Amino acid sequence: MLHFPHQKRYGNTFFKNSAFIAVCLLCFSIMLPAILHAQEKTVTVKGTVKNETGEPLSGVSVIVKGTTIGSTTKADGVFQITVPVNSTLSITMVGFVNKEIKIGSVDQSDLGISLSSDKLEMDKVIVVGYGTRRKSDITGSIVSISEQSIKDIPSSNLATAIQGQGAGIDIQRSGANSKPGATPNILIRGSRSLGASNDPLIVVDGIPFNGSINDLNQDDVASVEVLKDGSSTAIYGSRGANGVILISTKRGKTAKPVFTYSGYVGTSKLTKEFPVMNAAEFTDLKKWANIIANPGKYTGLDDPLFLTNGVFDPAEVEGIKNGRNTDWQSLIYKTGMITDHQLGVSGGNDQTQYAISGGYFNQTGIYYGQSFERSTVKLSVDQQLGKIFKVGLNSLNTYSVRKGESANPMAQALRASPLASPYDSAGNILNTYVPGSANQVWNPLADLIPGAAVENRKRLGTFTTLYLEANLFKGLKYRLNAGAEIRSDVYGNFYSDKTSFRVNQGGSASSNRNEVSNNYTLENLLIYDATIAQKHKLNFTGLYSLQEVSSKSNQFDNTNILADYLAYFNPTYGSNLKGSGSSSKADILSYMGRVNYSFNDRYLLTLTIRADGSSRLAEGNKWHSFPSAAFAWNVSRENFMQTIPAISNLKLRASYGSVGQQSIKAFQTLGQLSGLVYNYGSNMVTGAYLTSTINNTLTWEYTKTANLGIDFGLLGNRITGSVEVYKAFTNSLLLPQTLPPTSGIPNPIVTNVGKTENRGIEVHISTTNIQAQTRNDFSWTSDFNFFLNRGKVTQLAGGVTKDVANGWFVGQPLDVYYDYKRQGIWQNTAEDTAAAKALGLSVSGTSSVIGTIRVADLSGPDGKPDSKIDATNDRIIVGTSQPKWEGGTTQRFGFRGFDLTVVAFARWGYTMNSSLYGGGFVNTYQGTYNNIKTHYWTPENHEPWNPKANSAATNPLNRSVMSYFDGSFLKIRSISLGYNLDPSLVKRIGAKNFRVYATAADPFILFSPYRKAGGIDPEGSGTVGVDTPPTWSMIFGINMSF
Amino acid sequence: MSGCNKKLKEEPNSILVPAFFQTSQGLQAGLDAAYAGMRNFWGAQELFTATVIGTDEFQRGVDGNSDINLYSYTSTHSTTTTLWKAAYVFINTCNGVIDYADKTDLPAATKNTIVAEAKFLRANYYFILVQFWGDVTLNLHFQSEATTAAKRDPMGDVYDAIIQDLKDAIAVLPASPKSNGVLSGKATAVAAKHVLAKVYLTRAGSAVKKADDYQNAYNTAVDIINNKATLGLNLLPDFSKVFAEGNEDNEEVLWTVQHTANLAYNGPNNSGISSSNGISTYSADNVLNHMWVGQYEKRPGMIRSTAYGRPYIRCIPTRWLTDTAFKERVNDTRYSKTFQTVWYANNPDPKGYPVWTSPLPAGAPADAVVGQPKFKLGDTAIYMPGVDKTKAQIAASRYLLIPPGNYDNTLSATMVKYFDTKRADLNSPSVRPVIAFRLAETYLVAAESAYMLGLPDAVKYINAVRERAAYPTGNATAMDVTASDLSLDFILDERTRELCGENVRWWDLVRTGKLLQRVRMHNKEAAANIIEKHVLRPIPQAQIDATTTGDPYNNSLYFPLWN
Repeated sequence: MLHFPHQKRYGNTFFKNSAFIAVCLLCFSIMLPAILHAQEKTVTVKGTVKNETGEPLSGVSVIVKGTTIGSTTKADGVFQITVPVNSTLSITMVGFVNKEIKIGSVDQSDLGISLSSDKLEMDKVIVVGYGTRRKSDITGSIVSISEQSIKDIPSSNLATAIQGQGAGIDIQRSGANSKPGATPNILIRGSRSLGASNDPLIVVDGIPFNGSINDLNQDDVASVEVLKDGSSTAIYGSRGANGVILISTKRGKTAKPVFTYSGYVGTSKLTKEFPVMNAAEFTDLKKWANIIANPGKYTGLDDPLFLTNGVFDPAEVEGIKNGRNTDWQSLIYKTGMITDHQLGVSGGNDQTQYAISGGYFNQTGIYYGQSFERSTVKLSVDQQLGKIFKVGLNSLNTYSVRKGESANPMAQALRASPLASPYDSAGNILNTYVPGSANQVWNPLADLIPGAAVENRKRLGTFTTLYLEANLFKGLKYRLNAGAEIRSDVYGNFYSDKTSFRVNQGGSASSNRNEVSNNYTLENLLIYDATIAQKHKLNFTGLYSLQEVSSKSNQFDNTNILADYLAYFNPTYGSNLKGSGSSSKADILSYMGRVNYSFNDRYLLTLTIRADGSSRLAEGNKWHSFPSAAFAWNVSRENFMQTIPAISNLKLRASYGSVGQQSIKAFQTLGQLSGLVYNYGSNMVTGAYLTSTINNTLTWEYTKTANLGIDFGLLGNRITGSVEVYKAFTNSLLLPQTLPPTSGIPNPIVTNVGKTENRGIEVHISTTNIQAQTRNDFSWTSDFNFFLNRGKVTQLAGGVTKDVANGWFVGQPLDVYYDYKRQGIWQNTAEDTAAAKALGLSVSGTSSVIGTIRVADLSGPDGKPDSKIDATNDRIIVGTSQPKWEGGTTQRFGFRGFDLTVVAFARWGYTMNSSLYGGGFVNTYQGTYNNIKTHYWTPENHEPWNPKANSAATNPLNRSVMSYFDGSFLKIRSISLGYNLDPSLVKRIGAKNFRVYATAADPFILFSPYRKAGGIDPEGSGTVGVDTPPTWSMIFGINMSF
Repeated sequence: MSGCNKKLKEEPNSILVPAFFQTSQGLQAGLDAAYAGMRNFWGAQELFTATVIGTDEFQRGVDGNSDINLYSYTSTHSTTTTLWKAAYVFINTCNGVIDYADKTDLPAATKNTIVAEAKFLRANYYFILVQFWGDVTLNLHFQSEATTAAKRDPMGDVYDAIIQDLKDAIAVLPASPKSNGVLSGKATAVAAKHVLAKVYLTRAGSAVKKADDYQNAYNTAVDIINNKATLGLNLLPDFSKVFAEGNEDNEEVLWTVQHTANLAYNGPNNSGISSSNGISTYSADNVLNHMWVGQYEKRPGMIRSTAYGRPYIRCIPTRWLTDTAFKERVNDTRYSKTFQTVWYANNPDPKGYPVWTSPLPAGAPADAVVGQPKFKLGDTAIYMPGVDKTKAQIAASRYLLIPPGNYDNTLSATMVKYFDTKRADLNSPSVRPVIAFRLAETYLVAAESAYMLGLPDAVKYINAVRERAAYPTGNATAMDVTASDLSLDFILDERTRELCGENVRWWDLVRTGKLLQRVRMHNKEAAANIIEKHVLRPIPQAQIDATTTGDPYNNSLYFPLWN
């Protein structure tokens, strides 16, 4: 119906503007009958709305059905309204079952209305882009996560709290470490971009949010909605392709002031130590490594030569004699602490509503020097100005300090020789290299000396939105949204000379980076609602907006700081001062129109179009339009369905839409030179060379999604749920393409080439297994979500079917591992020797492959095995990080005021890449450093899987194949036991609500092949690295209001 | 609305965009980067690995890269890949300077010099490529647009381009590093001539040789030697001063790749070419100082020090090098000036010293007392006499006595040409400029081309180098050889004595066709693996994989086995 031609030519805005006006005119013409609707005879109704237990409810909306005449209840639950005779009042409130009451032709002064709470919230109002909709009116695919679900999992950031709670939302720790303040990776319906970001757009209170998820305090969050399909996200146009997360923060209500306090304290502990060798095992490893590297030199493990010829450092020899066995890990871990406090007050009257809160969160890691501390202040005010205008302000302010974000003690603690002591003979920390580790491993305890290693990131920011709303005339509303996000991010570090950070570099070093980002959004919205002839409901939303993100940064680095205590504060006192800076700005200009139409609440139609222009793209390619359409049919409201009482709700949905992606860095189209320093004697110069090419053709990457969905409710909504099936096609992929080195252009170029496809199924089921009638009864409800996504590359640049340099293969998932096929170990048998010789491999001397990892000769230039192992023909796809399925469940039990909540989730059927075993620094089998504890090959034991030790090889041959594991896991995310004090008791202490609880977070991993193989925790996006290990935590908390 | 549309225009103010290259400031910056690119070769670990290890001179040390020495590497090897990538990045930088010079408003003379310097550098980059890979992509124009196609050009074309560039450079550049106003490290005509002589000599030994290559090599080298006085150049009297710290601008030096103690303008201050987010930043250090240093610090009485260096121990000399090539040590002083054979105790901790145990070994020094330290701070801790010693002699020695039979891959006679005692820290890379070309090699190029042409001059030029080697204690005339002594092998032996470790040996052996023969004879670890194909390096897999359009890029032109 509404279709803008693609805006191909820069500057052609006239047409776009006229199309925008046309949409407005169209809507105005539809509105006309409503405007002409005449007034009739009226009656006055006064009444009180209460909940099931008889407490008055404030803020309940009382509306004359089919009109916009309405009122809300005050703090005491009372409302008064003048309505036409024979009207029907619609009583609605979030969290309660809607009620309709017929009013006759006489006034009523004491109408008692009781609303029953709707735990299943079938008809709750949920936030959609630029507005709210009743759930029954939704046409797209939206997951709504309630405040309660977020509260169930107290955690350091919102993303962690919603992990495992929504189908199609894949949230993983990045890199599988436990650093306080680390932010997880969020993927909605898998990855679609190979080169550009796959991060969803986050919108807070209607304004796009560019900060870190850490800048938000989840105690301030009232609800989270995740928009997944093309129709729901199309309203965000160029930024919606990766899904949209809408976060609504708490606002004041018309009620007496309510004070709330929530807080918890707890501890976090190491899940498990990394499995490294002990002193005796390491001694053997080092000996074997040298025996194998020096054939004939040693008589065996007991050769006394080992103790005198320098293989072992004198300090290690002493360790062997004394039976020393240093567990380096135990020396660097501690118990982490978590603290959270949130104090708030909210309330208001008819004219003014307010909410003020302050929060404090502090988490210290299990490694000294890692912590995250956040203080937040939030204020929201809504003020009615006369009958027409309303203004509001919402300000989220955050100050956070993150310490030790790059402190990774593992390279030292895991590699240090267990035969060496961390202390000197006087008991002081040995502030030098750990003996016996080739002068590469510094004593990890030295980093813990106060002031030796300092690393702080301080962020101060505000996210403030203002709105002005004008009810121009019946049904027509204008709204101005203005949002400003201003953040300063100051990062400083200092590493003294004698720390692991400065191994092999010499001198202390410091660095300080100041970044200020200024982002703003201006939106003009026109909203029109009308009901025509009772059955036709129409809603139109029009938007014109400008978003700008800009940031500036300056950085200095220097070394040899005169005094350690100067840290990173004054670069004058040091040498080798280097500076750098950046300045960038990007804008998006948008026009959007959306029409929602419903007939008889049964047939629902949503049409959306958005046109966006982005400064990041090349001239002439800046503009693109993103249309979408969605249709839904509330089957259960049809008459014929009334005969099937078992089905209480049934809705079918279909949508199709297009959304874009331009989340590439600014200035990518311009090409870039990089600086390079040089000198001619004492003449210092800075040169420049081309590193990125000019890119005149860069344009939008866009995704078209088709979505089919069913929402259902059975047995009086005891069982509710939804099933979604979707297919998404992403075109014009923004891909960094590696150019042949002969081009002389080192950096990949971002191009619009290639296509990907994603398809998937998502299932949500909520059940009320046992329904409680009173507080003392046993209750049990369950939520399940299950989803799978299959992504694949369908086209690459230049029509090729594989791009090995980038790891992309047509027909394969987006993230695959391409490597040799592991076949075990070359054994010292006649058969293996002959086979190795046939491959041209050495079978004698120090370069012998016997005892090393065997990989398969799979093919050759002619497509057949060619008796040669080579990268071109013998590497295959050995796995993908895309899981076969994922799912989560939340079980809630209640009994006599106690509640027990268990959240579990699983990720199943994928390959993980662990640098603990392959590719990293702890599984080298060189014998120079301590090693992951494995049963490795020796000439005597014929171990079939792990290679031999060899001091002559820095790393085992083909070591990368050691890094792949089945990553499947099933883990309990949290177990929470709470107790709500008896209402009468609560009342007696003058409170409204009082709950105490205890939560265990990440307490168990129930299933994980990786863990079985010796690893700690497979969860983590990308390669699971070797960093501060995962933790579990136990916290105790209180929620109260009075 | 049009006001808002202006918002969509990008205005970068913190990055350099390609158009900058076409300004006079940009042109100069491009040239500076083209020079800086050379740090990725002379002084970096990759070129060292590819030219020093796996030859008759050096084999891998305990921390060395065995793949290169063992000839067991493949097309994915990072050493060869890094060299390949860096060369093309900076060839493109040179191309930019050469193509854009005319667009700037610089004075003609300045422009011409800048272009000539860029051509000198481009010739050097291509010369490295052609010696390692033979047929390579020849691109003489600035590439600013993305391409995914590439082809190998015939080696002959590449040589022609190199020779043309060098001739163009010679015509314009200042005569010599000693000419007025020439900054350290700048290209000069004499450096270009030296390279040109080597290019002719190398092409003469290749499949695309031309009839007059040896003659041209000879003429070019002799021209330098004959004019050395006017150029302000000469062989230094004392071989040891050629590589003396702080003396890198001496009159024997033709061209250096610069480094500085001003670390902000030096490399990334680590051991290799730095990278961030997987993308190389092409800023490299001089790490040659680390490469030969053995694990002296693990021996009694020793700790790591700036003076003795950081024990990278990437390579150790072959026994042929120490025992045969440097056999003559009386009149030829170069052995003692090339190798460190003694270490003095530097451990301040008295507990770090060995004590005499009972019974005292036969032949122990007269002052040896059971239970007392064998030696103390400042005394000799390690000594390599360079000749055999008996077990009894070793046992009776107060210090660690290491005869050649006890050299191993952790500690051996140590090449000292690149030692740097003025670094910021005992683990820091060198701040010394790297001498890439020097006059002594010009003499040896003259001698080699004369020998190949059958000219009697060969003796004269080789003797000039040999006589200098006698200074100050040897008998110079005793160093002289005659025509009957000369052979290609003798010339290679002489190059070893003069130039060992100077990042040229692998090329020398390939040029003379002696790589396989000499590696098999003198480098025991490599002998088993080296085969014919190893006279070229494999085209990096990164190149093969990224060439996704047009004809595939491959190795099969000469040696299909590389694929």
